[in-house]
Amino acid sequence: MIRKILFYSPLLIIILLGILFYYSLNSETKSNSPLIGKQIPEFSIERLLNDNDQFSSKDLISSETINFINVWASWCIPCRAEHNVLELLSKIDNVDLYGINHKDTKKNATNFINTLGNPFREIGFDSDGRTSIEWGVFGVPETFIVHRGKIIYKHIGPIHISELEDTIIPIIKDLN
Amino acid sequence: MSCLVSFSILIYIYITSDFNFSLVYQNSHTEKPLIYKLSGSWGNHEGSLLMWILILTIFNFMFALMSKANIRLTEITIGVQSFLILGFLLFLLFTSNPFSLLSESPNEGLGLNPILQDPFLAIHPPILYLGYVGFSLIFSLAIAGLLLNHIDKNWASIAKKWTLSAWILLTAGIGLGSYWAYNELGWGGYWFWDPVENASLMPWLAGTALIHCVSILEKRNTLQSWTVLLSILTFALSLIGTFLVRSGILNSVHAFASDPSRGLFILAFLLIVLIASLFIFARKGPFLDKEIKYHLLSRETGILVNNWLLLTVLFVVFLGTVYPIFTDIILNENITVGPKYYIFSITPIIFLFIFAMIITPYLNWSTNNYKILIQKIYKPILLSVMLIFSLSLYYDKLSITEISLLILSSILIMANLNSNILFKNNSFYLTSNIGRALTHAGFALLIISIIANASYAKEKITQAKVDDKIIVGNYDFIFSSISQEKEKNYHKIIANFEMQQHSGTLKKLSPEIRFYNNPPTITSETSIARMLFRDIYIVMNVPENQEFINVRIHIKPFMNFIWISILMMMIGGLFSISYRIKNS
Repeated sequence: MIRKILFYSPLLIIILLGILFYYSLNSETKSNSPLIGKQIPEFSIERLLNDNDQFSSKDLISSETINFINVWASWCIPCRAEHNVLELLSKIDNVDLYGINHKDTKKNATNFINTLGNPFREIGFDSDGRTSIEWGVFGVPETFIVHRGKIIYKHIGPIHISELEDTIIPIIKDLN
Repeated sequence: MSCLVSFSILIYIYITSDFNFSLVYQNSHTEKPLIYKLSGSWGNHEGSLLMWILILTIFNFMFALMSKANIRLTEITIGVQSFLILGFLLFLLFTSNPFSLLSESPNEGLGLNPILQDPFLAIHPPILYLGYVGFSLIFSLAIAGLLLNHIDKNWASIAKKWTLSAWILLTAGIGLGSYWAYNELGWGGYWFWDPVENASLMPWLAGTALIHCVSILEKRNTLQSWTVLLSILTFALSLIGTFLVRSGILNSVHAFASDPSRGLFILAFLLIVLIASLFIFARKGPFLDKEIKYHLLSRETGILVNNWLLLTVLFVVFLGTVYPIFTDIILNENITVGPKYYIFSITPIIFLFIFAMIITPYLNWSTNNYKILIQKIYKPILLSVMLIFSLSLYYDKLSITEISLLILSSILIMANLNSNILFKNNSFYLTSNIGRALTHAGFALLIISIIANASYAKEKITQAKVDDKIIVGNYDFIFSSISQEKEKNYHKIIANFEMQQHSGTLKKLSPEIRFYNNPPTITSETSIARMLFRDIYIVMNVPENQEFINVRIHIKPFMNFIWISILMMMIGGLFSISYRIKNS
């Protein structure tokens, strides 16, 4: 009897592991959810490329277009990889791409934009990461889709070109 | 055959830079050198999966061609193998089509990640896959043997060759990957306990245990069910590794772009394969074993002890790799497991492990007398204790743990040389166990090199202007000049250093910063001076609008011996295989 149980134990272990792995696959979508469908957090931060003005939640609420908010940093390698995709994204009709520069220095961030190009309509400079916390960001890059002040979708990590085609563009079509 | 054709097509569209294909668009560029266009074809999820399937088919074909097993066993093995191929093909077709087209055709591709433009990286994945896939064959063989109730000496001698080849390839794959990380990533390390590295280490550990078990089965016709379980486990770990890497539930430098549908598919496939095979195992396994009595002090016991130790290490690595996933689900917290965890948990096990490695080869099968054992073994023990003890008086930096590990490893080397290279009448000849001796000595050398490397590494991080002198250890580094050059797909800034010792210039070192155009990426190329006993390693980085550059200089002792020891383990394995083929 004990011998029998012993021989079944690997099967049990793999089933348990399978369940855990299954949950971990879904947990990403779960951690996506708390802010989705809710009003965007209120914020107001200085602009990266224009010292005099503020970039704030009002800019997003008043906008009629579909807004993308991309949280990035010059020190973040995946952000560099994602930059091409952001360029493509910013060229789509009825889409405005905004950036929140996260825990960075002004010089490095400006430099990043000057060398790689600027797909953003506005960039907020969030040197201490406070605004990012309000948005529930836990790593760069992250991208939010906002429509009429509401968060529709959150993407964690760099947007891959296939994800742009398969996930993001359908959402844009839906909203239009 | 069709796999070969489709893989050739993939390579062809990469060479011709056909940007109609989304995969080529994302990963290639017309200005890229040919070899990297080639490696670009497997440097991404879809392409590498196609390559995986190709290798799986080739292995299947080779086995069908070369198998000397009886026909039923061969047939079922190939059947199981074909089922695996089918699973991967479905995966490719439904979630990762490498030939998906873009709606419009761009003129230029997005380029390959420049970190991946390295010759070692170009060959490292295919070899690693060969290893993984090799173990799939053992898996199929085990399932076939299980179904036919045909796990015996004959099965073991067929399995041994394939297990050894898969093991050598996996060792080579891990070694090359580590060599790449050391050269290219510029972190000055060769192993980072990164989830993906762990994913390749786990099947290696299980596979190592498997090789030894198959030996017992072959010689003593016992441990049938345990051997089958290990065969399943080794392949299961290859699959779980694939799942962890491809599903994106773990973050790592190696991870491919994540896509939950892919993760779900691999998980489903993995569970079908493993639940089915473990169910068969649970039903049939208990009737396989033939009990044979053996003495406590015997080679069987020694090998089994090390089997358990290997599996304990495996458990430690597995826990460290998946723990962050569990805390994420259960506590909703992101944590990372650092190298300290692995080092603290594995070091004590290594002690016991090497100890058993020293003794076991001296033991006979089934029964032994400990007095004879001591007689055989006392010379290498005495010699090693004396050697390491006197060395440790001279080099004062070592801790007790390190000294004892060094002693054990050195005993292991000497014991292997002592008993397997025989001197007679002024000429020497090798025993038939030279393969095992080389592999075991290689492992001991690896441990010695790792300890020496960790204890005597020196590092200095500083700022330097032209003509500055930096002193690290016994060496002076003169920063002589800085220049700029344009290459085909990047431009670079080069800093020139002269490395001097006692005012004589030994070598010139020129670390670079490269600015790639597509995608715009900056990488720092290390410059390494390789000497027999140490590598000297300079990395730099250029801050904006400053007169100085940031320099990091590492002195890494014994690096070469790490690579040599891995090579020794592989050559040992090759000896064992060739010996088998010659005698079969």
